[in-house]
Amino acid sequence: MRLYCLEHPIVLQRHLAASRRIYVLVEDLSGDNHWLTIEGDDEAILPQRPPISSPKKLLFSEQENLFVFDGEQFRETLPSPAPFALFGVHSCDLTAIAYQDKFFADDPYYQARRSQALLVGIDCTTPCENGFCYAVGAGPGVNTANADLILHRRKDGNWLLIASSEKGEQALQGADLKAATDAELRDREDQLARCEQLFGDSQYLKDGIAAINGGLIADSFWEEIGIQCLSCSGCTSLCPTCSCYATRDLDEPQGGIRQQRFWDSCLYEGFQREASQHNPSGAAGERVKRFWRHKFGEKFAEQYGRYGCVGCGRCEETCPGMIGVHTVMKRIQHHVQSDTGGH
Amino acid sequence: MDLLIKNDALVGVEPQRSHPISRGQLCAKGWSTYYGIDAANRITQPLIRDTQGFQPANWEEATVFICEKLREILETSGPSAVGVISSARATNEDNYAAQKLARAVLHTNNIDHCARICHSPTVAGLKQTLGSGAMTNSAADILDADLIMVFGADPTENHSILGGHVMRAKLQGTTLIVVDPRRTRLAKLADLHLQLKPGSNIALVNAMLDAIIGSGWHNRNFIKHRCDGFDRLAESVSNALQEAESHTGLAQGLIRDAAKLYSQSKRAMILYGMGVTQYVSGTNNVIALSNLALVCGQIGRPGTGINPLRGQNNVQGACDMGCLPNVFPGYQPVADSDCRARFSKAWGVKLPERPGLTSLGMSKAALSGDFLGMILFGEDPVVTDPDQNHVREALQKLDLLVVAELSMTETAKLADVVLPAAAFAEKDGTFTNCERRVQHFRQALLPPGEALPDWQWLRAIARGLGSDQLDWYDSEDIFNEMAALTPSYSAMDYYKITTQRGLQWPCDGKNPEGTTVLHQQGFATDNGRAKLIAVQQAAVDEPPDGEYPLTLTTNRLHFHYGCGSMTRKSPLLERETPAGILFINPQDAADLTIDHLAAVGVKSRRGYLETRAMVSEDVPPGLVSMPYHFREAPSNQLTNNAMDPLTKMPELKACAVRVAPLPPGRQPRQIDTILMDSRDAPLLS
Repeated sequence: MRLYCLEHPIVLQRHLAASRRIYVLVEDLSGDNHWLTIEGDDEAILPQRPPISSPKKLLFSEQENLFVFDGEQFRETLPSPAPFALFGVHSCDLTAIAYQDKFFADDPYYQARRSQALLVGIDCTTPCENGFCYAVGAGPGVNTANADLILHRRKDGNWLLIASSEKGEQALQGADLKAATDAELRDREDQLARCEQLFGDSQYLKDGIAAINGGLIADSFWEEIGIQCLSCSGCTSLCPTCSCYATRDLDEPQGGIRQQRFWDSCLYEGFQREASQHNPSGAAGERVKRFWRHKFGEKFAEQYGRYGCVGCGRCEETCPGMIGVHTVMKRIQHHVQSDTGGH
Repeated sequence: MDLLIKNDALVGVEPQRSHPISRGQLCAKGWSTYYGIDAANRITQPLIRDTQGFQPANWEEATVFICEKLREILETSGPSAVGVISSARATNEDNYAAQKLARAVLHTNNIDHCARICHSPTVAGLKQTLGSGAMTNSAADILDADLIMVFGADPTENHSILGGHVMRAKLQGTTLIVVDPRRTRLAKLADLHLQLKPGSNIALVNAMLDAIIGSGWHNRNFIKHRCDGFDRLAESVSNALQEAESHTGLAQGLIRDAAKLYSQSKRAMILYGMGVTQYVSGTNNVIALSNLALVCGQIGRPGTGINPLRGQNNVQGACDMGCLPNVFPGYQPVADSDCRARFSKAWGVKLPERPGLTSLGMSKAALSGDFLGMILFGEDPVVTDPDQNHVREALQKLDLLVVAELSMTETAKLADVVLPAAAFAEKDGTFTNCERRVQHFRQALLPPGEALPDWQWLRAIARGLGSDQLDWYDSEDIFNEMAALTPSYSAMDYYKITTQRGLQWPCDGKNPEGTTVLHQQGFATDNGRAKLIAVQQAAVDEPPDGEYPLTLTTNRLHFHYGCGSMTRKSPLLERETPAGILFINPQDAADLTIDHLAAVGVKSRRGYLETRAMVSEDVPPGLVSMPYHFREAPSNQLTNNAMDPLTKMPELKACAVRVAPLPPGRQPRQIDTILMDSRDAPLLS
């Protein structure tokens, strides 16, 4: 791990842009931010709040071809992107990428993109609306294991740059950067610790997680929650760790077929329906229950080294049925407390 | 929503946090936009039918073909033999162009669109009582109301984002009353569910009025200062509570509870949908609801009002643009000589005086040989209009049918010329949503192949007929012409709409920033006062009987939009249900030995189809329900075409059917197969 002083992130951005495409958060006319490539000297705005959509789709494409079969031969359709950098990724989304790295460890399509990506993280120094990364160990500071480079906005307006991986250090070769000291690293830790104190009470999250794993939630509770699930796929589309996909064969204009995979959602009734019409999760409540078990179940945590939820809070914002993470966990807390006569 | 484009192709969508209504949310249809407009599924060049079928053509050939035919019809049969059906999916600019083509180029008022079969009774009813036929309040008011009464509407399926707001309001403590024969999602969450018999809306509302007036819960002050006709109304409802149970099947106590809650709330809001309008009594149903809101003074303030939930993205706009046979843009009557003079002067052309034919009127005239040429876009009446066989026969009889579409629909298959249309992502324009908010959107993609925005091919037809009436430079040019002629849009322009995230009409000299709540001071009637109009319960046209013992109603699914021409391209949405379903109560299913997802035959006096049973408690015994999205099993084979006398709205919400299981092992046949095959005859008759 190496530490550098940085007057401004644009210095780093320009240096990286010489050898790779740069994706940053670009603000549109309405004030929404999107992950887009920028040209030349356009300066990244590095917003404090994570955008509505994480950079998931830049690594796990929403639709992509798996192969083409022309009637005689199969042709591979692996992507071959040029090297690129995701510049200014928040800690929740970096944690999600680390999670997906495990899920897609043997997926050549994901890895073809991932291997070309340089991850430049940015520490959050204030909690964002709906965010609870601290409660699930995904922020607010960037975990050095999850990024190649980390930007930290200092109180004095200067920046600390941490090269946290070998790939990150290599990417800095040739850049004219002044080394920073351990004192500056301690400042970072202090500032992150202060930010951690600013997060609201998360007891209901802890209670909710315990209840999910302790089997304390009645099926009738999930049935009630299920009434509010419209199967819109919003939560799974925006959840940075969700990774379900389906495939289909499409006719090629010149004959033959291509197989396409596309994002799926476990909240659709058709997701797990079998050809016989039997469906182990035919009821909406079953599907909602499964979703939260995947996000907070200990079994999955063991397999992936952490919870599937990274505390970004996007599901709370995008769910038309008002059953995002905060609402559901508060209702679980209430359910468990009223069920046992209150604590 | 924001569209994500890579290498000139759509790769996904993102919701907009900053959007004043959706606030970071999309419905299932929105999330599936990619599939709906995917270039791979699209019509990319004009097609002209010859004896061999459709042949590819270029725009010039297509335009020449269309114009020659049109000229021939106009010369031999006159302007009343041609007409235009515009689209509630298309932009305001496209719709304005369509009605102008009809009126100023073809010289006919034969212009209509699918609002005929969704909210024409709203426009007709609220125009009489309030002077304006649109949502009186705004979407944001849902979260300001103390009580919400959802009447004959299923907004979590049909207007998912607004439906979500209702759920949010309910969970935050707002009282929720749902009036619906079906147990909808909101009914399951409601404080009160009035599960009335289909077609008893007026009996219920009059009974509520009876309870309210009888108990002195009405708002005397509001009635005195702002309404006409109270005494007659009070007299007409004086026995309604007593009579209600036999019509509605609801206990008096329940009706009284609902009446008390609604009238005594500080801010009570009515949201209503097709369960009010799609009856032979549609206009009177709307008037009844208007009476209820007025008598309680629940209108003209935030968190109140009477709010029709318009179905399509731009059905409000298509109405506003005058794509109706009796009004110019801004609901200015065609029959009014001052209005006619105004448009005549602006366009520099003499305009037809007589109101034109409705869409159903055009079909009828086609069958009798009086209507010969139709230009239609962005609509699939073969699947979505009542009485499919009638519609199909009428369209087949035309000398010229022009259909502009994104992809090949059942209606387009019958056309003489099919034109490739640009999708919303491929053009500029404005849409007017159901809270009267005019929103601008920008082109993100090139149209595939030779597809064009609707106003551009309409312009080509006008030019082909030797007219420069549609010679606009761009969509903004159209908007400016329209705004100058439409009082409620008069203070709007693209810049203002864009920078303010949409403006709600009326937006004029008096309200330059638009209007969130209508009727705050006065009503838009002649004397500024609202009209209370007594209306009487009228039975459905075709009640169940021994031969057809079940009532069939229609509904929509969250996953699909109209005829499914866009949403059914999504492998995810298409996977959600079989292609055609019939909801049936477990008791009825057991009586008829029908299992869940079993193949069934459904027969009415008009037609027969086969589909799959969804055995569900969401419909009560005696009632079955079908979504109308599926061309394989179109509910309009069955529905009744008895009409609301004023608006010609067909009674799509109730008709009599009988249902029987198909023999074991038999799959449901698609309607085309059934029609070609007479073997079905012995099955149910």
